[in-house]
Amino acid sequence: MPVQDRTNEFKACVESIRNRSSYPARGGAKDRLLQPSNGHAKPKGGSKSEFSRMAMSIGKDISSTTLKLQKLAQLAKRKTLFDDRPVEISELTFIIKQDIANINKQLAGLQAHVKAQQAGKTGGGKQVEEHNANVVTLLQSKLMSTSMTFKDVLEIRTQNMKETKDRTEQFVHSTSSAAIQPPPSNSLLFNKPRNDDPRYNIQNKGKARVQDSDLLALDMVAAEEGQGGLQELQYMDNQQDYIQSRSTAIESIESTIAELGNIFSQLAHMVAEQRETVQRIDADTTDIADNISGAQRELLKYYASISSNRWLMIKVFGAIIVMFLIFVLVN
Amino acid sequence: MKLYQLSILEVTDGSAKLLSSAADLSSFSFYQRGSVGEFMTFMAKTVAERTAVGQRQSVQENSYTAHVYNAGRENLAAVVITDEEYPVRPAFSLLQKLIDDFVTSVPKTTWSNPSSIDFPAAKAYLAKYQDPKQADQIMRVQAELDETKIILHKTIEGVLQRGEHLDSLVERSNALSAQSKMFYKTAKSQNSCCVVM
Repeated sequence: MPVQDRTNEFKACVESIRNRSSYPARGGAKDRLLQPSNGHAKPKGGSKSEFSRMAMSIGKDISSTTLKLQKLAQLAKRKTLFDDRPVEISELTFIIKQDIANINKQLAGLQAHVKAQQAGKTGGGKQVEEHNANVVTLLQSKLMSTSMTFKDVLEIRTQNMKETKDRTEQFVHSTSSAAIQPPPSNSLLFNKPRNDDPRYNIQNKGKARVQDSDLLALDMVAAEEGQGGLQELQYMDNQQDYIQSRSTAIESIESTIAELGNIFSQLAHMVAEQRETVQRIDADTTDIADNISGAQRELLKYYASISSNRWLMIKVFGAIIVMFLIFVLVN
Repeated sequence: MKLYQLSILEVTDGSAKLLSSAADLSSFSFYQRGSVGEFMTFMAKTVAERTAVGQRQSVQENSYTAHVYNAGRENLAAVVITDEEYPVRPAFSLLQKLIDDFVTSVPKTTWSNPSSIDFPAAKAYLAKYQDPKQADQIMRVQAELDETKIILHKTIEGVLQRGEHLDSLVERSNALSAQSKMFYKTAKSQNSCCVVM
Protein backbone atom coordinates (compact mmCIF):
# COMPACT_ATOMS: atom_id res chain seq x y z
CA MET A 1 0.00 0.00 0.00
CA PRO A 2 1.65 3.25 -1.07
CA VAL A 3 2.19 5.72 1.67
CA GLN A 4 0.00 8.76 1.22
CA ASP A 5 0.58 12.06 2.79
CA ARG A 6 -2.75 13.29 4.05
CA THR A 7 -1.48 15.97 6.38
CA ASN A 8 -3.20 18.71 4.40
CA GLU A 9 -6.55 16.96 4.56
CA PHE A 10 -6.10 16.49 8.28
CA LYS A 11 -5.28 20.15 8.73
CA ALA A 12 -8.36 21.12 6.69
CA CYS A 13 -10.56 18.89 8.87
CA VAL A 14 -9.17 20.46 12.04
CA GLU A 15 -9.85 23.94 10.69
CA SER A 16 -13.40 23.11 9.66
CA ILE A 17 -14.21 21.57 13.01
CA ARG A 18 -12.74 24.51 14.82
CA ASN A 19 -14.84 26.93 12.79
CA ARG A 20 -17.97 24.85 13.24
CA SER A 21 -17.70 24.48 16.98
CA SER A 22 -19.63 26.99 19.07
CA TYR A 23 -17.54 26.31 22.14
CA PRO A 24 -15.97 29.51 23.38
CA ALA A 25 -14.84 27.81 26.58
CA ARG A 26 -13.08 25.09 24.65
CA GLY A 27 -11.18 27.60 22.55
CA GLY A 28 -10.20 29.42 25.69
CA ALA A 29 -9.00 26.20 27.27
CA LYS A 30 -7.01 25.37 24.18
CA ASP A 31 -5.33 28.72 24.26
CA ARG A 32 -4.50 28.22 27.86
CA LEU A 33 -2.95 24.89 27.04
CA LEU A 34 -0.90 26.31 24.22
CA GLN A 35 0.40 29.28 26.17
CA PRO A 36 1.64 28.10 29.50
CA SER A 37 3.06 31.51 30.21
CA ASN A 38 -0.27 32.39 31.89
CA GLY A 39 0.03 32.27 35.65
CA HIS A 40 -3.38 30.62 35.99
CA ALA A 41 -2.46 28.03 33.42
CA LYS A 42 0.88 27.17 34.94
CA PRO A 43 -0.45 24.30 37.09
CA LYS A 44 -2.66 23.09 34.24
CA GLY A 45 0.11 23.18 31.71
CA GLY A 46 2.39 21.56 34.24
CA SER A 47 -0.18 18.90 35.06
CA LYS A 48 -0.71 18.12 31.39
CA SER A 49 2.98 17.68 30.73
CA GLU A 50 3.22 15.68 33.95
CA PHE A 51 0.49 13.38 32.66
CA SER A 52 2.20 12.99 29.32
CA ARG A 53 5.51 12.37 31.08
CA MET A 54 4.02 9.64 33.24
CA ALA A 55 2.28 8.09 30.25
CA MET A 56 5.50 8.19 28.25
CA SER A 57 7.51 6.52 30.99
CA ILE A 58 4.85 3.83 31.36
CA GLY A 59 4.85 3.23 27.62
CA LYS A 60 8.63 2.92 27.63
CA ASP A 61 8.53 0.47 30.52
CA ILE A 62 5.93 -1.60 28.76
CA SER A 63 8.00 -1.77 25.59
CA SER A 64 11.14 -2.77 27.48
CA THR A 65 9.19 -5.42 29.38
CA THR A 66 7.89 -6.75 26.07
CA LEU A 67 11.46 -7.06 24.82
CA LYS A 68 12.53 -8.97 27.92
CA LEU A 69 9.48 -11.16 27.56
CA GLN A 70 10.46 -12.03 24.03
CA LYS A 71 13.92 -13.02 25.20
CA LEU A 72 12.40 -15.15 27.95
CA ALA A 73 10.08 -16.79 25.44
CA GLN A 74 13.04 -17.74 23.32
CA LEU A 75 14.89 -19.16 26.30
CA ALA A 76 11.84 -21.10 27.43
CA LYS A 77 11.30 -22.63 24.03
CA ARG A 78 14.63 -24.44 24.00
CA LYS A 79 14.21 -28.14 24.42
CA THR A 80 17.78 -29.29 24.99
CA LEU A 81 18.32 -31.71 27.81
CA PHE A 82 21.54 -30.44 29.22
CA ASP A 83 22.02 -26.86 28.22
CA ASP A 84 18.97 -25.57 30.08
CA ARG A 85 19.84 -22.38 31.93
CA PRO A 86 17.47 -22.39 34.88
CA VAL A 87 19.25 -19.63 36.76
CA GLU A 88 18.99 -17.21 33.89
CA ILE A 89 15.38 -18.10 33.20
CA SER A 90 14.32 -17.72 36.80
CA GLU A 91 16.19 -14.42 37.08
CA LEU A 92 14.52 -13.12 33.97
CA THR A 93 11.12 -14.29 35.18
CA PHE A 94 11.65 -12.51 38.45
CA ILE A 95 12.73 -9.30 36.75
CA ILE A 96 9.77 -9.36 34.40
CA LYS A 97 7.38 -9.98 37.27
CA GLN A 98 8.79 -7.03 39.15
CA ASP A 99 8.52 -4.84 36.05
CA ILE A 100 4.91 -5.76 35.51
CA ALA A 101 4.08 -5.02 39.14
CA ASN A 102 5.88 -1.72 38.85
CA ILE A 103 4.04 -0.75 35.69
CA ASN A 104 0.78 -1.71 37.31
CA LYS A 105 1.50 0.60 40.22
CA GLN A 106 2.47 3.42 37.91
CA LEU A 107 -0.67 2.94 35.87
CA ALA A 108 -2.82 2.97 39.02
CA GLY A 109 -1.13 6.19 40.04
CA LEU A 110 -1.76 7.64 36.61
CA GLN A 111 -5.42 6.71 36.76
CA ALA A 112 -5.76 8.31 40.18
CA HIS A 113 -4.08 11.39 38.75
CA VAL A 114 -6.51 11.53 35.86
CA LYS A 115 -9.46 11.13 38.23
CA ALA A 116 -8.14 13.93 40.43
CA GLN A 117 -7.82 16.09 37.35
CA GLN A 118 -11.36 15.33 36.29
CA ALA A 119 -12.68 16.12 39.73
CA GLY A 120 -10.79 19.40 39.85
CA LYS A 121 -11.81 20.84 36.50
CA THR A 122 -15.25 22.36 36.01
CA GLY A 123 -16.03 22.04 32.35
CA GLY A 124 -13.30 23.19 30.10
CA GLY A 125 -11.04 20.79 28.30
CA LYS A 126 -13.45 17.91 27.94
CA GLN A 127 -11.42 16.69 25.03
CA VAL A 128 -8.29 16.62 27.14
CA GLU A 129 -10.10 14.50 29.73
CA GLU A 130 -11.29 12.14 27.03
CA HIS A 131 -7.82 11.96 25.58
CA ASN A 132 -6.33 11.19 28.97
CA ALA A 133 -8.92 8.51 29.64
CA ASN A 134 -8.24 6.99 26.23
CA VAL A 135 -4.50 6.97 26.82
CA VAL A 136 -4.98 5.29 30.19
CA THR A 137 -7.21 2.64 28.62
CA LEU A 138 -4.69 2.05 25.87
CA LEU A 139 -1.85 1.58 28.35
CA GLN A 140 -3.97 -0.74 30.45
CA SER A 141 -4.84 -2.92 27.48
CA LYS A 142 -1.17 -3.04 26.47
CA LEU A 143 -0.18 -4.11 29.96
CA MET A 144 -2.90 -6.76 29.91
CA SER A 145 -1.66 -8.24 26.66
CA THR A 146 1.90 -8.25 28.04
CA SER A 147 0.88 -10.13 31.16
CA MET A 148 -1.08 -12.62 29.04
CA THR A 149 2.00 -13.29 26.97
CA PHE A 150 4.00 -13.67 30.17
CA LYS A 151 1.56 -16.24 31.45
CA ASP A 152 1.73 -18.17 28.19
CA VAL A 153 5.50 -18.19 28.31
CA LEU A 154 5.46 -19.52 31.87
CA GLU A 155 3.09 -22.29 30.84
CA ILE A 156 5.34 -23.27 27.96
CA ARG A 157 8.27 -23.31 30.33
CA THR A 158 6.52 -25.63 32.84
CA GLN A 159 5.55 -27.96 30.03
CA ASN A 160 9.09 -28.11 28.75
CA MET A 161 10.44 -28.70 32.20
CA LYS A 162 8.08 -31.62 32.64
CA GLU A 163 9.14 -33.07 29.31
CA THR A 164 12.83 -32.77 30.13
CA LYS A 165 12.25 -34.40 33.49
CA ASP A 166 10.48 -37.33 31.82
CA ARG A 167 13.28 -37.69 29.34
CA THR A 168 15.98 -37.62 32.00
CA GLU A 169 14.09 -40.25 33.94
CA GLN A 170 14.10 -42.45 30.89
CA PHE A 171 17.84 -42.29 30.71
CA VAL A 172 18.59 -42.42 34.41
CA HIS A 173 17.08 -45.11 36.61
CA SER A 174 16.36 -43.10 39.75
CA THR A 175 16.05 -44.47 43.26
CA SER A 176 12.52 -43.16 43.58
CA SER A 177 11.22 -45.86 41.23
CA ALA A 178 12.85 -48.48 43.43
CA ALA A 179 11.25 -47.02 46.52
CA ILE A 180 7.78 -47.28 45.04
CA GLN A 181 7.96 -51.07 45.11
CA PRO A 182 7.94 -51.76 48.86
CA PRO A 183 4.57 -50.26 49.84
CA PRO A 184 2.52 -52.79 47.83
CA SER A 185 4.38 -55.61 49.48
CA ASN A 186 3.74 -53.81 52.75
CA SER A 187 0.00 -54.13 52.23
CA LEU A 188 0.31 -57.85 51.53
CA LEU A 189 2.17 -58.36 54.74
CA PHE A 190 -0.42 -56.24 56.44
CA ASN A 191 -3.17 -58.56 55.32
CA LYS A 192 -1.45 -61.62 56.69
CA PRO A 193 -1.32 -60.63 60.35
CA ARG A 194 -4.94 -59.62 60.09
CA ASN A 195 -5.91 -63.26 59.70
CA ASP A 196 -3.57 -64.48 62.38
CA ASP A 197 -4.76 -65.44 65.80
CA PRO A 198 -5.61 -62.45 67.92
CA ARG A 199 -3.23 -62.89 70.75
CA TYR A 200 -3.69 -59.42 72.07
CA ASN A 201 -5.94 -59.24 75.09
CA ILE A 202 -7.57 -56.05 76.08
CA GLN A 203 -9.64 -55.38 79.14
CA ASN A 204 -12.46 -53.22 78.01
CA LYS A 205 -16.17 -52.91 78.45
CA GLY A 206 -17.93 -52.58 75.07
CA LYS A 207 -17.48 -56.13 73.87
CA ALA A 208 -18.64 -55.80 70.24
CA ARG A 209 -16.39 -52.90 69.54
CA VAL A 210 -13.44 -54.50 71.21
CA GLN A 211 -13.16 -57.13 68.53
CA ASP A 212 -12.49 -54.59 65.85
CA SER A 213 -10.14 -52.55 67.90
CA ASP A 214 -8.43 -55.83 68.67
CA LEU A 215 -7.60 -56.40 65.06
CA LEU A 216 -6.69 -52.78 64.71
CA ALA A 217 -4.20 -52.93 67.53
CA LEU A 218 -2.86 -56.11 66.05
CA ASP A 219 -2.26 -54.42 62.73
CA MET A 220 -0.16 -51.75 64.25
CA VAL A 221 1.73 -54.23 66.42
CA ALA A 222 2.51 -56.58 63.55
CA ALA A 223 3.53 -53.78 61.30
CA GLU A 224 5.86 -52.40 63.86
CA GLU A 225 7.37 -55.70 64.69
CA GLY A 226 7.83 -56.42 61.03
CA GLN A 227 9.39 -54.10 58.54
CA GLY A 228 10.85 -51.18 60.32
CA GLY A 229 12.69 -49.64 57.43
CA LEU A 230 9.87 -49.80 54.93
CA GLN A 231 7.57 -48.55 57.60
CA GLU A 232 9.61 -45.41 57.82
CA LEU A 233 9.09 -44.94 54.14
CA GLN A 234 5.39 -45.13 54.65
CA TYR A 235 5.64 -42.60 57.46
CA MET A 236 7.30 -40.24 55.08
CA ASP A 237 4.64 -40.93 52.49
CA ASN A 238 2.02 -39.96 55.00
CA GLN A 239 3.79 -36.71 55.68
CA GLN A 240 4.23 -36.17 52.00
CA ASP A 241 0.60 -36.94 51.37
CA TYR A 242 -0.58 -34.35 53.80
CA ILE A 243 1.79 -31.73 52.53
CA GLN A 244 1.02 -32.60 48.95
CA SER A 245 -2.69 -32.43 49.48
CA ARG A 246 -2.25 -29.02 51.03
CA SER A 247 -0.17 -27.85 48.13
CA THR A 248 -2.67 -29.15 45.57
CA ALA A 249 -5.50 -27.41 47.37
CA ILE A 250 -3.59 -24.16 47.41
CA GLU A 251 -2.64 -24.58 43.78
CA SER A 252 -6.25 -25.05 42.82
CA ILE A 253 -7.09 -21.86 44.69
CA GLU A 254 -4.33 -20.10 42.84
CA SER A 255 -5.58 -21.29 39.47
CA THR A 256 -9.12 -20.22 40.37
CA ILE A 257 -7.86 -16.78 41.26
CA ALA A 258 -5.98 -16.61 37.98
CA GLU A 259 -9.14 -17.59 36.13
CA LEU A 260 -11.03 -14.90 37.96
CA GLY A 261 -8.43 -12.37 36.97
CA ASN A 262 -8.80 -13.48 33.40
CA ILE A 263 -12.53 -13.09 33.54
CA PHE A 264 -12.20 -9.63 35.02
CA SER A 265 -9.90 -8.52 32.28
CA GLN A 266 -12.26 -9.90 29.64
CA LEU A 267 -15.07 -8.01 31.28
CA ALA A 268 -13.11 -4.79 31.21
CA HIS A 269 -12.34 -5.38 27.55
CA MET A 270 -15.96 -5.85 26.65
CA VAL A 271 -17.04 -2.75 28.51
CA ALA A 272 -14.36 -0.73 26.78
CA GLU A 273 -15.58 -1.97 23.42
CA GLN A 274 -19.10 -1.08 24.25
CA ARG A 275 -18.08 2.40 25.29
CA GLU A 276 -17.37 3.23 21.65
CA THR A 277 -20.85 2.14 20.68
CA VAL A 278 -22.32 4.31 23.39
CA GLN A 279 -20.40 7.26 22.06
CA ARG A 280 -21.81 6.69 18.60
CA ILE A 281 -25.31 6.61 19.98
CA ASP A 282 -24.61 9.83 21.81
CA ALA A 283 -23.37 11.55 18.66
CA ASP A 284 -26.39 10.32 16.74
CA THR A 285 -28.83 11.67 19.28
CA THR A 286 -27.19 15.09 19.23
CA ASP A 287 -27.44 15.08 15.45
CA ILE A 288 -31.08 14.17 15.67
CA ALA A 289 -31.71 16.99 18.13
CA ASP A 290 -29.94 19.46 15.82
CA ASN A 291 -31.85 18.33 12.75
CA ILE A 292 -35.19 18.52 14.44
CA SER A 293 -34.56 21.96 15.83
CA GLY A 294 -33.41 23.15 12.41
CA ALA A 295 -36.49 21.70 10.75
CA GLN A 296 -38.67 23.41 13.32
CA ARG A 297 -36.96 26.70 12.55
CA GLU A 298 -37.60 26.28 8.86
CA LEU A 299 -41.23 25.48 9.45
CA LEU A 300 -41.63 28.52 11.63
CA LYS A 301 -40.10 30.67 8.92
CA TYR A 302 -42.38 29.12 6.39
CA TYR A 303 -45.35 29.70 8.59
CA ALA A 304 -44.30 33.30 9.08
CA SER A 305 -43.85 33.78 5.38
CA ILE A 306 -47.17 32.16 4.64
CA SER A 307 -49.07 34.33 7.07
CA SER A 308 -47.45 37.50 5.81
CA ASN A 309 -47.36 36.64 2.16
CA ARG A 310 -51.05 36.31 1.62
CA TRP A 311 -50.78 39.65 -0.04
CA LEU A 312 -48.49 38.08 -2.66
CA MET A 313 -50.83 35.16 -3.18
CA ILE A 314 -53.83 37.47 -3.64
CA LYS A 315 -51.87 39.18 -6.35
CA VAL A 316 -51.03 35.84 -7.99
CA PHE A 317 -54.65 34.71 -7.79
CA GLY A 318 -55.84 38.02 -9.19
CA ALA A 319 -53.47 37.62 -12.15
CA ILE A 320 -54.76 34.10 -12.86
CA ILE A 321 -58.40 35.20 -12.70
CA VAL A 322 -57.64 38.06 -15.03
CA MET A 323 -56.09 35.63 -17.53
CA PHE A 324 -59.05 33.32 -17.15
CA LEU A 325 -61.48 36.15 -17.80
CA ILE A 326 -59.48 37.21 -20.84
CA PHE A 327 -59.65 33.68 -22.27
CA VAL A 328 -63.38 33.51 -21.67
CA LEU A 329 -63.96 36.89 -23.23
CA VAL A 330 -61.82 36.08 -26.22
CA ASN A 331 -63.77 32.89 -26.78
CA MET B 1 -19.58 -35.39 57.93
CA LYS B 2 -19.27 -35.45 61.66
CA LEU B 3 -16.65 -35.11 64.29
CA TYR B 4 -17.13 -37.45 67.19
CA GLN B 5 -14.28 -36.82 69.52
CA LEU B 6 -11.31 -34.59 69.91
CA SER B 7 -8.60 -35.40 72.39
CA ILE B 8 -5.14 -34.34 73.40
CA LEU B 9 -2.74 -36.79 74.95
CA GLU B 10 0.75 -36.73 76.33
CA VAL B 11 2.83 -39.53 74.89
CA THR B 12 5.91 -40.60 76.81
CA ASP B 13 7.83 -43.79 76.04
CA GLY B 14 5.02 -45.52 74.25
CA SER B 15 2.31 -44.83 76.81
CA ALA B 16 -0.28 -42.14 76.38
CA LYS B 17 -2.01 -40.12 79.04
CA LEU B 18 -5.23 -38.35 78.20
CA LEU B 19 -4.96 -34.66 79.01
CA SER B 20 -8.13 -33.20 77.60
CA SER B 21 -10.93 -34.29 75.36
CA ALA B 22 -14.23 -33.12 73.97
CA ALA B 23 -16.85 -35.32 72.45
CA ASP B 24 -20.06 -34.92 70.53
CA LEU B 25 -21.98 -38.16 70.80
CA SER B 26 -25.41 -36.77 70.08
CA SER B 27 -25.81 -38.99 67.04
CA PHE B 28 -25.78 -42.13 69.17
CA SER B 29 -28.70 -43.38 71.17
CA PHE B 30 -28.60 -42.54 74.82
CA TYR B 31 -27.70 -45.99 76.02
CA GLN B 32 -24.85 -46.45 73.64
CA ARG B 33 -23.11 -43.25 74.49
CA GLY B 34 -21.21 -44.53 77.46
CA SER B 35 -19.64 -47.46 75.70
CA VAL B 36 -18.98 -45.54 72.54
CA GLY B 37 -17.27 -42.81 74.50
CA GLU B 38 -15.02 -45.26 76.27
CA PHE B 39 -14.23 -47.06 73.07
CA MET B 40 -13.24 -43.81 71.46
CA THR B 41 -11.01 -42.87 74.35
CA PHE B 42 -9.32 -46.23 74.17
CA MET B 43 -8.91 -45.96 70.42
CA ALA B 44 -7.40 -42.50 70.75
CA LYS B 45 -4.91 -43.76 73.33
CA THR B 46 -3.88 -46.77 71.28
CA VAL B 47 -3.46 -44.86 68.10
CA ALA B 48 -1.50 -42.09 69.78
CA GLU B 49 0.86 -44.57 71.34
CA ARG B 50 1.59 -46.12 67.99
CA THR B 51 2.35 -42.93 66.17
CA ALA B 52 5.95 -41.81 65.90
CA VAL B 53 7.06 -38.28 66.63
CA GLY B 54 6.18 -35.75 63.96
CA GLN B 55 4.03 -38.21 62.10
CA ARG B 56 0.46 -38.00 60.93
CA GLN B 57 -1.69 -41.07 60.54
CA SER B 58 -5.22 -41.89 59.60
CA VAL B 59 -6.60 -45.15 60.84
CA GLN B 60 -9.94 -46.47 59.72
CA GLU B 61 -11.99 -48.93 61.67
CA ASN B 62 -15.56 -49.91 60.77
CA SER B 63 -17.19 -46.61 60.11
CA TYR B 64 -14.89 -44.41 62.13
CA THR B 65 -11.66 -42.83 61.16
CA ALA B 66 -9.11 -41.61 63.63
CA HIS B 67 -6.68 -38.95 62.49
CA VAL B 68 -3.73 -38.69 64.77
CA TYR B 69 -0.90 -36.21 64.78
CA ASN B 70 2.06 -36.60 67.06
CA ALA B 71 3.47 -33.15 67.37
CA GLY B 72 6.67 -33.99 69.15
CA ARG B 73 6.43 -30.70 70.97
CA GLU B 74 6.19 -31.36 74.69
CA ASN B 75 5.36 -34.98 73.73
CA LEU B 76 1.87 -33.97 72.78
CA ALA B 77 -0.36 -35.80 70.38
CA ALA B 78 -3.84 -34.93 69.20
CA VAL B 79 -6.45 -37.34 67.94
CA VAL B 80 -9.72 -36.61 66.20
CA ILE B 81 -12.26 -39.34 65.55
CA THR B 82 -14.62 -38.68 62.69
CA ASP B 83 -16.81 -40.53 60.25
CA GLU B 84 -15.57 -41.66 56.88
CA GLU B 85 -16.64 -38.68 54.84
CA TYR B 86 -14.69 -36.06 56.68
CA PRO B 87 -11.94 -34.68 54.47
CA VAL B 88 -8.49 -35.60 55.65
CA ARG B 89 -6.56 -32.42 55.18
CA PRO B 90 -8.72 -30.09 57.27
CA ALA B 91 -8.71 -32.72 60.00
CA PHE B 92 -4.95 -32.50 60.26
CA SER B 93 -4.92 -28.76 60.17
CA LEU B 94 -7.47 -28.84 62.99
CA LEU B 95 -5.16 -31.08 65.01
CA GLN B 96 -2.27 -28.75 64.44
CA LYS B 97 -4.27 -25.77 65.57
CA LEU B 98 -5.52 -27.62 68.61
CA ILE B 99 -2.04 -28.53 69.75
CA ASP B 100 -0.76 -25.00 69.27
CA ASP B 101 -3.66 -23.62 71.23
CA PHE B 102 -3.22 -26.15 74.00
CA VAL B 103 0.46 -25.43 74.38
CA THR B 104 -0.12 -21.71 74.69
CA SER B 105 -3.15 -21.75 76.94
CA VAL B 106 -2.61 -24.57 79.40
CA PRO B 107 0.44 -24.33 81.67
CA LYS B 108 2.70 -27.32 81.72
CA THR B 109 2.52 -27.78 85.46
CA THR B 110 -1.05 -29.00 85.37
CA TRP B 111 -0.27 -31.75 82.90
CA SER B 112 0.55 -34.24 85.58
CA ASN B 113 -3.00 -33.93 86.87
CA PRO B 114 -5.30 -34.36 83.91
CA SER B 115 -8.53 -33.80 85.77
CA SER B 116 -7.50 -30.29 86.67
CA ILE B 117 -6.93 -29.19 83.11
CA ASP B 118 -9.62 -26.91 81.82
CA PHE B 119 -9.45 -26.46 78.08
CA PRO B 120 -12.79 -25.18 76.77
CA ALA B 121 -11.31 -24.40 73.41
CA ALA B 122 -11.46 -28.09 72.57
CA LYS B 123 -15.22 -28.06 72.72
CA ALA B 124 -15.31 -24.87 70.70
CA TYR B 125 -13.11 -26.38 68.02
CA LEU B 126 -15.23 -29.50 67.95
CA ALA B 127 -18.36 -27.49 67.38
CA LYS B 128 -16.78 -25.23 64.83
CA TYR B 129 -15.21 -27.94 62.75
CA GLN B 130 -18.39 -29.95 62.38
CA ASP B 131 -18.66 -28.19 59.06
CA PRO B 132 -15.19 -28.23 57.61
CA LYS B 133 -16.17 -26.20 54.61
CA GLN B 134 -16.71 -23.17 56.77
CA ALA B 135 -14.02 -23.65 59.35
CA ASP B 136 -11.04 -24.54 57.22
CA GLN B 137 -9.45 -21.53 55.64
CA ILE B 138 -8.50 -23.09 52.38
CA MET B 139 -11.85 -24.67 51.77
CA ARG B 140 -13.67 -21.50 52.64
CA VAL B 141 -11.57 -19.48 50.26
CA GLN B 142 -12.15 -22.03 47.52
CA ALA B 143 -15.91 -21.97 48.08
CA GLU B 144 -16.01 -18.19 48.00
CA LEU B 145 -13.94 -18.13 44.85
CA ASP B 146 -16.30 -20.54 43.15
CA GLU B 147 -19.23 -18.39 44.14
CA THR B 148 -17.49 -15.32 42.78
CA LYS B 149 -16.77 -17.13 39.54
CA ILE B 150 -20.45 -17.94 39.09
CA ILE B 151 -21.40 -14.35 39.75
CA LEU B 152 -18.83 -13.18 37.23
CA HIS B 153 -20.18 -15.54 34.60
CA LYS B 154 -23.61 -14.06 35.10
CA THR B 155 -22.15 -10.59 34.88
CA ILE B 156 -20.50 -11.37 31.60
CA GLU B 157 -23.76 -12.65 30.22
CA GLY B 158 -25.39 -9.42 31.33
CA VAL B 159 -22.69 -7.45 29.61
CA LEU B 160 -23.23 -9.41 26.41
CA GLN B 161 -26.91 -8.62 26.49
CA ARG B 162 -26.08 -5.01 27.10
CA GLY B 163 -23.91 -5.14 24.01
CA GLU B 164 -26.78 -6.44 21.95
CA HIS B 165 -29.09 -3.74 23.25
CA LEU B 166 -26.52 -1.12 22.48
CA ASP B 167 -26.19 -2.40 18.95
CA SER B 168 -29.92 -2.20 18.34
CA LEU B 169 -29.94 1.27 19.89
CA VAL B 170 -27.19 2.36 17.56
CA GLU B 171 -29.07 1.15 14.54
CA ARG B 172 -32.26 2.85 15.60
CA SER B 173 -30.58 6.11 16.39
CA ASN B 174 -28.87 5.95 13.00
CA ALA B 175 -32.19 5.50 11.25
CA LEU B 176 -33.78 8.23 13.32
CA SER B 177 -30.95 10.59 12.52
CA ALA B 178 -31.35 9.94 8.78
CA GLN B 179 -35.07 10.50 8.98
CA SER B 180 -34.71 13.74 10.89
CA LYS B 181 -32.21 14.90 8.31
CA MET B 182 -34.69 14.23 5.54
CA PHE B 183 -37.32 16.06 7.54
CA TYR B 184 -35.04 19.06 7.88
CA LYS B 185 -34.17 19.05 4.21
CA THR B 186 -37.81 18.85 3.20
CA ALA B 187 -38.71 21.70 5.50
CA LYS B 188 -35.85 23.75 4.14
CA SER B 189 -36.79 23.05 0.56
CA GLN B 190 -40.33 24.19 1.27
CA ASN B 191 -38.94 27.54 2.25
CA SER B 192 -36.68 27.99 -0.74
CA CYS B 193 -39.12 27.63 -3.59
CA CYS B 194 -41.24 30.70 -3.06
CA VAL B 195 -43.68 30.09 -5.83
CA VAL B 196 -45.64 27.44 -4.04
CA MET B 197 -48.27 26.75 -6.63
